[in-house]
Amino acid sequence: MDFNAAEEEEFGFSRNYFLAKETGSSGKKSARKLSDINVVDEQELREASANIEPKHQNDVADLINSYKSLYPKWVFDLRCGFGLLMYGFGSKKSLIEDFASTALAEHSIVVINGYLQSINIKQVIIALAEILWEQLKLNRKVSSRGLPKVQQPFSSRSMDDLLAFLDGPEMDEKDSFICVVVNNIDGPGLRDTETQQYLARLASCSYIRVVASIDHVNAPLLWDKKMVHAQFNWYWYHVPTFAPYKVEGLFLPLILAHGSSKQSAKTALIVLQSLTPNAQSVFRILAEYQLSHPDDEGMAIDDLYSISRERFLVSSQDCLYIPLTKEGLEKLLSEMS
Amino acid sequence: MAPSLNDDSPPSTIDEAFTENNLQPFFVLQKGPSRKSDRKSSGTGRTRRFDLSSASPKNSANIEDEKEDENMNLRMEAFEFVWSKIESTIKDVLRVINTNVFSEIQTWVHQSFDTIRSLGTPEFPEATQSFPIITDANSKRLFTGLVLTKNMEFVDDLLTFEELGKHLKYQGCHVANLSSLDFTAKNGVGGCLRSLLRQFLMSSLDPADISILASWYREENCNNPVVVIIDDIERCCGSVLSDFILMLSEWVIKIPVILIMGVATTLDAPRNILPSNALRCLCPFEFTLGTPAERMDAVVEAVLVKPCSGFIIGHKVAVFMRNYFVSQDGTLTSFIRALKIACTQHFYTEPLSVILLEFASEEDNLVFEIERHGLSPEVIWKHVFEFPSCQRVKLNKLTSESLAHAFSELKRLQNQWRAVVLCLYVTGKGEKVRLLDLFCEAIDPESYNQGEFDTNMKAEKDPVLSSSQIKGHVICKAVRLVRDLSTAQLGKLLKMWENLTVGIPEINGKVKELLSLLNVEDGKSSKKDLTVTPRRHTSRIQLNIEKDSKSLSDKAANLIECMVRDYMHPTECIPFHEIFCFKDVDKLQLALIGDPRRGIQVDLLEFQKLLCCRCCTSSSNALLPSMHDTSIMYKLAQEHGDLINLHDWYQSFKSIVLCPNSKRKPRQSPLPKKRKGIKEAESQSEASIQARFCRAVTELQITGLLRMPSKRRPDFAQRVAFGL
Repeated sequence: MDFNAAEEEEFGFSRNYFLAKETGSSGKKSARKLSDINVVDEQELREASANIEPKHQNDVADLINSYKSLYPKWVFDLRCGFGLLMYGFGSKKSLIEDFASTALAEHSIVVINGYLQSINIKQVIIALAEILWEQLKLNRKVSSRGLPKVQQPFSSRSMDDLLAFLDGPEMDEKDSFICVVVNNIDGPGLRDTETQQYLARLASCSYIRVVASIDHVNAPLLWDKKMVHAQFNWYWYHVPTFAPYKVEGLFLPLILAHGSSKQSAKTALIVLQSLTPNAQSVFRILAEYQLSHPDDEGMAIDDLYSISRERFLVSSQDCLYIPLTKEGLEKLLSEMS
Repeated sequence: MAPSLNDDSPPSTIDEAFTENNLQPFFVLQKGPSRKSDRKSSGTGRTRRFDLSSASPKNSANIEDEKEDENMNLRMEAFEFVWSKIESTIKDVLRVINTNVFSEIQTWVHQSFDTIRSLGTPEFPEATQSFPIITDANSKRLFTGLVLTKNMEFVDDLLTFEELGKHLKYQGCHVANLSSLDFTAKNGVGGCLRSLLRQFLMSSLDPADISILASWYREENCNNPVVVIIDDIERCCGSVLSDFILMLSEWVIKIPVILIMGVATTLDAPRNILPSNALRCLCPFEFTLGTPAERMDAVVEAVLVKPCSGFIIGHKVAVFMRNYFVSQDGTLTSFIRALKIACTQHFYTEPLSVILLEFASEEDNLVFEIERHGLSPEVIWKHVFEFPSCQRVKLNKLTSESLAHAFSELKRLQNQWRAVVLCLYVTGKGEKVRLLDLFCEAIDPESYNQGEFDTNMKAEKDPVLSSSQIKGHVICKAVRLVRDLSTAQLGKLLKMWENLTVGIPEINGKVKELLSLLNVEDGKSSKKDLTVTPRRHTSRIQLNIEKDSKSLSDKAANLIECMVRDYMHPTECIPFHEIFCFKDVDKLQLALIGDPRRGIQVDLLEFQKLLCCRCCTSSSNALLPSMHDTSIMYKLAQEHGDLINLHDWYQSFKSIVLCPNSKRKPRQSPLPKKRKGIKEAESQSEASIQARFCRAVTELQITGLLRMPSKRRPDFAQRVAFGL
């Protein structure tokens, strides 16, 4: 019986868990310290990790190539209105981007990198709306359809309006959807509930199809039944690639590198890039000041505020604090200069 | 652009991975329309909407390939046709189920509106003021319809509330649908107001103010009620909801709002989430929707039993979908989704599925030209001969006519099957026989082939045998019910059977015969005792009549048994059913229920099966240095408890990576001299081993199988998954 099998499985879970607990605590717990390992210098470690020789390179390439035969099926599923969700061990970034660019050659494709630390979902949706607007204009059906002639710029519209626009009435040419590729939809930049809700609403729009990848074993916990069945409408594919998680792992600290105090300038750069243009400019002011006054203790916050305000970067002091408090950026920045 | 897979050398250093795009939160990979216009200018006669073959690496000059493409596009068309038919059928069915409740709600809305109006309409000066009018406590009452959904899964009711909104709009009400997402603590009451304004005024004004709504309502000629539907109050933030209710209640004279709220659990729900001052404003009424099981049966009847699209599912698929509904997911929505996935799979894999396009639309005289479907006749015949169902019947010659004949035969048999299933269903309906269960049993080809129905029936007659053997057999239960019917009930049932079997003379004749017999009996009994209604037959002992009626219900039971035996051919027993029937349950399961937790662990534990490399397969379970690093690490982690000592883990990883023979040698070499010689090389590789260790830990962290050391336990990582 199915039920018995399921019960057995559940029993197995708990048994394993308690066994693990037992060996962990009551058994002789190894007291050895991480510091007993003769860890090489961090710089060396980073260099070495950049030059790790890939194993099974050809086998991995063959495996990824073997998924090419599935491309037509994936296109079929997208056309049927499903969202594709790829899971399995290994980075799937290049796989799904390759799929999108070769098999969906006639469609606009927007890629979201969910593995980055912060992603502004509204900007993504604005960009999608702009692409769709262009597309509709080209199809010359816009004028006859009576879309608003004088149109408010997308960047100043509300989320609801933008989503309503993307969820426009069924078009004549049904297949003119925009494909949104989401690398790591369970990534740190997209993991919060609000963003997931917006992504779900986005996925249910008539002009949008989503191709996403997950890597975390608990990723399905991000979604409730409404999101899974009615909005994302996932079609699951198990596509392990065993490709190394290069970009995805870039932002995680190396376990043998001591502490996070010595983050490299490169990581700082990445965090900086994920900021809004205005926030970036605020940091530019700071950096320029620091470079031109190397002996100074630092820039007074009031000075920074007045300069930023003059350049229309911030409107109030509160706005100024937002970028400054982000992820201990001050520390990173001092290192860079 | 994305890094192409065709590159033989994938980026080998991290720096290469640092391409601009990889570090952008998002980027545009390509823009579509420019290419589209190229394609259009090439102008083929028929606009091919989508080139499904473009992805496949073969060169498409081949005519066969082109035909294949065309066939694929036709299949897509057929899918769209079939699915839109199924979808609209489901919508209709659900609408019909809700008709009564909807009209009940509608009358209540209008009555409530009249009551509010009777409290007085605001005078002009009052109406234009931007604050509410309150005369007495009565004028603060908010009419509230609590709709009991009888379903914990609110996802099934989203459509219901949407339809309710449409229904009320059609009846002239102003309707806004709010979801629980509008009632979050973050947005506060302003969030719901903004949503209301959006829906009523079709514009989003930033200072969301209810006086705007009041002036909007005054401009609309004040003759229609304003209905606000909240689909699931139990998921709303209580304080926001109560603020919302208090606000509306103050304005109810100016804006006659009538609330409709979905409640999943019990009528106590509002009391649990709202404070008393908000509760006092509500004037509740109660409505009840149909249960999920009822809806499910209605959908199964309309889509899978009655003729709908021609697409059907096989027994195993049906059983899987039933189990998934009953014991796992419990939502009709997911059942429908599963059906859609099955449908997609079927049209993608079965080249002849295009025939469904005509099969569904035409009634009889199915004449089709194979060429129309983009496949050469040879290919088709070859394909058809490969069907297991056709091999069984040993077709030796196939022509278009014989195929058409086979199809009409299939239709005929399906009609018979349908009639019998529906007869069984109406028989058992009152006794909680679920159509879904019945359906699963009725399409089981094995029990049909083995004549199981038959043996079970016999066992049924023999009460000693029956109990355990027939447990769960819905068909037998229905048959047994027939035996216990009174004459009047039997009469009703036979009438229903007669209607259900109209198109099938073989069965219909027998039912009619039985019905006439029954009428004769009835006549006899009424002649004997004119004043007595059939109900009282039992109280007045009239042996004769009782015996007759007993024999009649026996006859009816025999009839239905014979119907089950002779006319209920499961589709999977009919030749050519492969064209219409989806049977691949494994594929469906994989697509419907992704299991990343298990899947990712299995990937790591059995990676050699996926990578098909020769170097890592060994007879024993030993870890080899050639294996994937993360895989080695995860296998090693299995030996630890819930906490993994990083030092030990590292050392065992190192020993495996360094030893070519997979045997864990003692790390201290016995010869110090030799050790000195290789020391330099070792220190170099030390760095790389440490780097590999770090990479593997990071990858395990990404998959969520490992939690990093905390401040309290800096030397231990934590395992997350235990067992698959």
